[in-house]
Amino acid sequence: MSMRLPKQNGEWINRSKPVKFTFEGMSFEGFEGDTISSALWAGNEHILGRSFKYHRPRGVLSLANHDVNVMMTDTVDTNMRGDVVAVKAGMKLAAVNTEGGVKNDRNRYMDKLAKLLPVGFYYKAFHTPKSLFPFWENIIRKAAGLGVVNFNYPRILKRKTHRHCDLLVVGAGPAGLTAAIVAAQSGLEVVVADENAQAGGSLTYDRAGSPEPLSQLQELMAQVAQHPNITLITGAYAAGYYADHFVPIVRADGIVKVRARAVIVASGVFEQPPVFRNNDLPGVMLGSAAQRLIYRYAVKPFSSGVVVTANAHGYRVALDLLQAGIKVNAVVDLRADGESSALAAEVARKGVAIRKGSCVYEALPQSGNMGVRGVSVCAYDEKTAEADTANIETIECDGVAMCAGWAPAAALLYQAGTAMRYDGNVHQFVPERLPQGVFAAGKVNGVYKLEERMRDGARAVAEAMRHLGMDAPAVEVAAHSESSPSHPYPVVPHPNGKNFVDFDEDLQVKDFINAAKEGFDNIELMKRFTTVGMGPSQGKHSNMNAIRILARIRGVAPEKIGTTTARPFFHPTPIGHLGGRSFHPHRLTAMHAWHEAAGAVMSEGGVWVRPAYYAKPGMSAQDIVQDEAMSVRTAAGMIDASTLGKIEICGPDASHFLERFYTGSYGSQKVGEIRFALLLDEAGVVVDDGVAARIADDKFYVSTNTANAAAVYREMQRWLQKWQLNVWLINVTGAYAAMNLAGPNACRILSKLTSDDISEKALPASHFMEAKIAGVTARVLRVNFVADQAYEIHVPAPQARGVWEAIMEAGAQEGLRPFGTDAQRLLRLEMGNHLVSHDTDGLTNPFEIGAEWALRMGKPFFVGQRSLKIIAKRSVTKRLVPYVLDEGYSGEMPQECNLVINAAGEIKGRVTSIAYSRSAGRVIGFAYVDPADVAPGSRFQVRADSGAMVDATVVKTPFIKSSKGDQA
Amino acid sequence: MPLRLLKYALSREHPAPRFFRACEKPKDSYDVVIIGGGGHGLAAAYYLAKDHGITNVAVLERGYIGGGNTGRNTTIVRSNYLTPEGVNFYNASVKLFEDLSQDLNLNLFYSTRGHFTLAHTESAMRTMRWRAEVNKHVGVESYVVGPDEISKACPQLDISCSGQAPIHGALYHAPGSVARHDAVAWGYARGADQRGVEIYQNTEVTGIDVQGGKVRGVHTSRGYIATNKVLSAVAGFTPRVCKMVDVQTPIVIQPLQACVSEPMKPWLDTILVSGSLHVYVSQSSRGELVMGSSLDPYEVHSTRSSLDFVEGLTSHILDMFPFLSNIKIVRQWAGMADITPDFAPIMGKTPVDGFYLDAGWGTWGFKATPISGKSMAETIANDKAPELIHSFRLSRFEEYELTGEKGAASVGH
Amino acid sequence: MKLLKCPVNGVRPLSEFVFGGEVREMPDPNTCSDQEWAGYVHHRNGAPGMKKEWWYHGPSGTWFIAERDTMRDEVARTYLYGQEDKQ
Repeated sequence: MSMRLPKQNGEWINRSKPVKFTFEGMSFEGFEGDTISSALWAGNEHILGRSFKYHRPRGVLSLANHDVNVMMTDTVDTNMRGDVVAVKAGMKLAAVNTEGGVKNDRNRYMDKLAKLLPVGFYYKAFHTPKSLFPFWENIIRKAAGLGVVNFNYPRILKRKTHRHCDLLVVGAGPAGLTAAIVAAQSGLEVVVADENAQAGGSLTYDRAGSPEPLSQLQELMAQVAQHPNITLITGAYAAGYYADHFVPIVRADGIVKVRARAVIVASGVFEQPPVFRNNDLPGVMLGSAAQRLIYRYAVKPFSSGVVVTANAHGYRVALDLLQAGIKVNAVVDLRADGESSALAAEVARKGVAIRKGSCVYEALPQSGNMGVRGVSVCAYDEKTAEADTANIETIECDGVAMCAGWAPAAALLYQAGTAMRYDGNVHQFVPERLPQGVFAAGKVNGVYKLEERMRDGARAVAEAMRHLGMDAPAVEVAAHSESSPSHPYPVVPHPNGKNFVDFDEDLQVKDFINAAKEGFDNIELMKRFTTVGMGPSQGKHSNMNAIRILARIRGVAPEKIGTTTARPFFHPTPIGHLGGRSFHPHRLTAMHAWHEAAGAVMSEGGVWVRPAYYAKPGMSAQDIVQDEAMSVRTAAGMIDASTLGKIEICGPDASHFLERFYTGSYGSQKVGEIRFALLLDEAGVVVDDGVAARIADDKFYVSTNTANAAAVYREMQRWLQKWQLNVWLINVTGAYAAMNLAGPNACRILSKLTSDDISEKALPASHFMEAKIAGVTARVLRVNFVADQAYEIHVPAPQARGVWEAIMEAGAQEGLRPFGTDAQRLLRLEMGNHLVSHDTDGLTNPFEIGAEWALRMGKPFFVGQRSLKIIAKRSVTKRLVPYVLDEGYSGEMPQECNLVINAAGEIKGRVTSIAYSRSAGRVIGFAYVDPADVAPGSRFQVRADSGAMVDATVVKTPFIKSSKGDQA
Repeated sequence: MPLRLLKYALSREHPAPRFFRACEKPKDSYDVVIIGGGGHGLAAAYYLAKDHGITNVAVLERGYIGGGNTGRNTTIVRSNYLTPEGVNFYNASVKLFEDLSQDLNLNLFYSTRGHFTLAHTESAMRTMRWRAEVNKHVGVESYVVGPDEISKACPQLDISCSGQAPIHGALYHAPGSVARHDAVAWGYARGADQRGVEIYQNTEVTGIDVQGGKVRGVHTSRGYIATNKVLSAVAGFTPRVCKMVDVQTPIVIQPLQACVSEPMKPWLDTILVSGSLHVYVSQSSRGELVMGSSLDPYEVHSTRSSLDFVEGLTSHILDMFPFLSNIKIVRQWAGMADITPDFAPIMGKTPVDGFYLDAGWGTWGFKATPISGKSMAETIANDKAPELIHSFRLSRFEEYELTGEKGAASVGH
Repeated sequence: MKLLKCPVNGVRPLSEFVFGGEVREMPDPNTCSDQEWAGYVHHRNGAPGMKKEWWYHGPSGTWFIAERDTMRDEVARTYLYGQEDKQ
């Protein structure tokens, strides 16, 4: 039997495009424009899911993503929200979290165990005996959770776009659309976003049987279409409010990040279920859901129904049902006085019985809770919230529409920092104090009458314009004067429970009462203990009733209870949307392509990528690294050193600046000299080292470690501001490339490419000169980091590749080969040079690494100096020493970060560097040891991974004989 | 079903009593006043009563119990720290946690899953080895593992991280666990209450009465309370309380954000942390992925969320688990963390006599809840800090004896 | 993402900036006690309030001062170091 109605004006389905799909193995046909739920409902399928805890059958509740009764998998995707996901041809759907299908779910016995599962039951059991907990935990974990993750689901890149506007309007209902039109008319650029497939809000479904709302909507939409200033985005929800009016709008194909100058939240309200026994049966749904089915999808919610209500909306729903040809057997109104508006008379005139002061005591289930067969109705005392069961009458029906009130969709307002108050006139939380530039309009603002909602939109625009410094007329909005749209306590107790408050989490009234009894009588504690509002719909249909119930338990007004914090996201948002494309940016040097062509295996250093070594077929990485290092010792090698930080310090106070910034002495440094540059922080901790070349009286060229370039430059800039010296700083890290040509043949190779005298005599160690290398003006620095005979050649990056290639060519006959950072680490170790952050950590001071020689403590000031004076008074607890393993050692090789252990079994330090050096013929390294053991010849022990103790001997550096003597 | 649940089915009235009394009017004086009704403050109250027989104690909580960082963390418990002092301290906490459900007779869902700290670079591998060696030395089960062992424990993990940050190995820490964070606070509250401790919610401390360098009492929104001993256990608010007694600390407040996905059937059995990708993730017993990242980079005293956090985090989660594209994030939140310069807590006595500090909990507070409570109870009872927390004393900063955790804690949840 | 106004480059998203901590007076290293110096190096005024802070605009390399309420995370004004009075 089809539940599809004849064409409804304004319907969202396209009847010319049928859509065939299956659900739980059965075939269905819907139309383009249908959601999964509406298409199934049209096919008279009412069991669309099973509840989370009790596995009760569930159907449509809100049809608006305010509940998760309908969670589907299509075998590819999971946790698809059937109420809002469009149905597509060929879908093979099934409900999640069932065993054996939604109809015959084998876990349905859980419903019978409900009494054994009181609120927070899992805290009260399963932990004794302790040994059994893993068993129970396994069962509980498997029972929890919803859909099954598909590990083959593809990584989908969703687009992120940015949008700037004067005004963002969230919600395209009557208030939002009016606001957009008024604002656009005033010249503002407006973005309006609405989560529904089409704009219009309540005008698209809440019609009281009248054609009027649809024509009002068409009129508004015509005006919107006329304004080039309005961008309307539908099928897109505002996921959250972030600082400075930053709102991500999430749609199927990506996120639009909107930065607005002002925001109007016209997001409406969520209909709240009245609470009575079996209010979750398939066929029992919110009045607005029934209306959505009728007008958006032309689907009958049921054939013969009852409306349970406590506001005017119930009467509007009754009229909509009647209009659609559905039998309405009764309107059951909780309120003793019933509805006073003309709506009630109209409903009565159509022959519907109205029961004032009555409640649905329970919905009567069909066998297996598979649907509703009627309701039992009795008198209800609004004051005590008690049902008078003396006279219970059964009214047959196959569906119930529930209309007891609303809760504001105020998540964005909360996130923006809005203070809310409980308004007794509408029995709803409404904004009391809004943050700058954020405004609320329409139902979320407690305004319900249609024309007033539209006026409220205009009022919000006027306020937004004043916020933006524009003139705007005052707009008056009339206070609510009709019956309250929400009932203050639409809760009917029942001794047998199953009167649900939170449908996601299967929470009944007694769960709240019992939680309060156990002391969880504060809304936040109650939330955490009962888990109300913590399910996938985040309390949209449950938080308000929870607050009302707690207020009643404590005998205070809802205002005193307050609300829980509404955090992003408004609707759960896919990881793929949020993550988008992932960015791992790297910097490449000017010679990168050459390295790749030469077979380099790359490694990362800070943000840079550089060669670790140059692969050779059939050779292990270790052997290659030894060979690369050996060529530096015996002939020549060259490494791309472009990743070094390079900073120019210029100006009359340049040397003065360096004196204060680094630990050494620079005032006396001659032009052409290079000095070590050790940087401490204010606590005296070693943070960087490099060299400073004086290239003119008023100009230094300073290098930093690769990873520290940005941070050192930044700190230099800050100190410069504080000291107000006549200095300017230029970070030339990217502008200059550098290469280090090292080895006994280095000088000879370089000499082929320059007419300048770069001989040992003209350019001795720790000196600098400017020379033309291969026709390019270069800064040549003699830095003996990896070898005594080494030339750091710095050239403008665009010319670097040419210089590199020229040197490689010139060195071809001299045994020159490129080397990478692995060999560099070995070479510097052989030279006895430690590496900051490799041989030091975040607390190392200069005394611990034997860097006293680099400190000019007599200077008036340098960063970290005062702290060093304090530290110097304390005894050092560990010291970095160079060591060797015994000659011919062939046991387990210790690893970096193995510990130094003394005879008493105590940790005394650790190995920071270790490597076999072919040049030294030994395993060499650096380690922190007991300060008592630093004299050359001292022995200490390292514990290798396996636990084996390995003897090591402290030695002097360098580990290798100076190459100068060896030179031919 | 366990028999323990039968009584709920059989009795008409809900048979469970209140977890703790609803205290409204404080007495004029207490032996000890604890500021902060989070896990730490309540644990201190519990151990004061249980271990030291000191029961004339009031716990003052500005909001509701467990509502601060106890209820905002990502519930990971581990002891794989870098320094022997750190490992010993957190290991003592793990030991207490292991029996805590039985001790408090409340199921805390303490679930030992194993914890992998992934290393994407060789230098990260070095740090892993350092931690493993120190852990082993102290008797904690941590060791360096290669990609194969990681894949065995978590076959869904893309070891190449989408080619962006290939995993070289990891520090595996067998005792790594997760627990139901709220329940820890509730269990301690109940245990303390049963032993006579009074817990006052919605009670704000507005000032601390110090005379002659000694604590004399506290001013509260419920009036003045005389006491000679005050414990501040208010991570996230420490600077405000310390200001009341003019005690200087290095603590600054930075928000730490986290988020949670919608529930799915269990698939992630271990706890994964990636320092390079700034991610930590585990799956709760409810089926949600609980995820966090690094600290927000500047001082803010609020729990607002940011979009960049969740964009960055989810992007890296996709590097690790590309198939999660269409799994949804339900909620994001933030806590305010007490950040110290050496990534270690500040515990013990202060220059003000009778003012004890349990602070500086950064991103490592939840896992220390039991041992910090026990240690602070001992400190208060004896007016002397036990050896176990000596390294965490406030005076270490003036003494330039910072703890060495800095190396390991850049992301270390 | 939050916005911050660089006095040189105008309003930019926060991701372009680096926080540099509160502006703090350095005691005279020649006359202060060890304890004072250690306090300066390690201790911070962590209580919330309106603070003068260092901020750095990365893309342009500009340090400046922001007066920011650390409770509300609202910036009252920004200016270059030493130009407080020129505002």
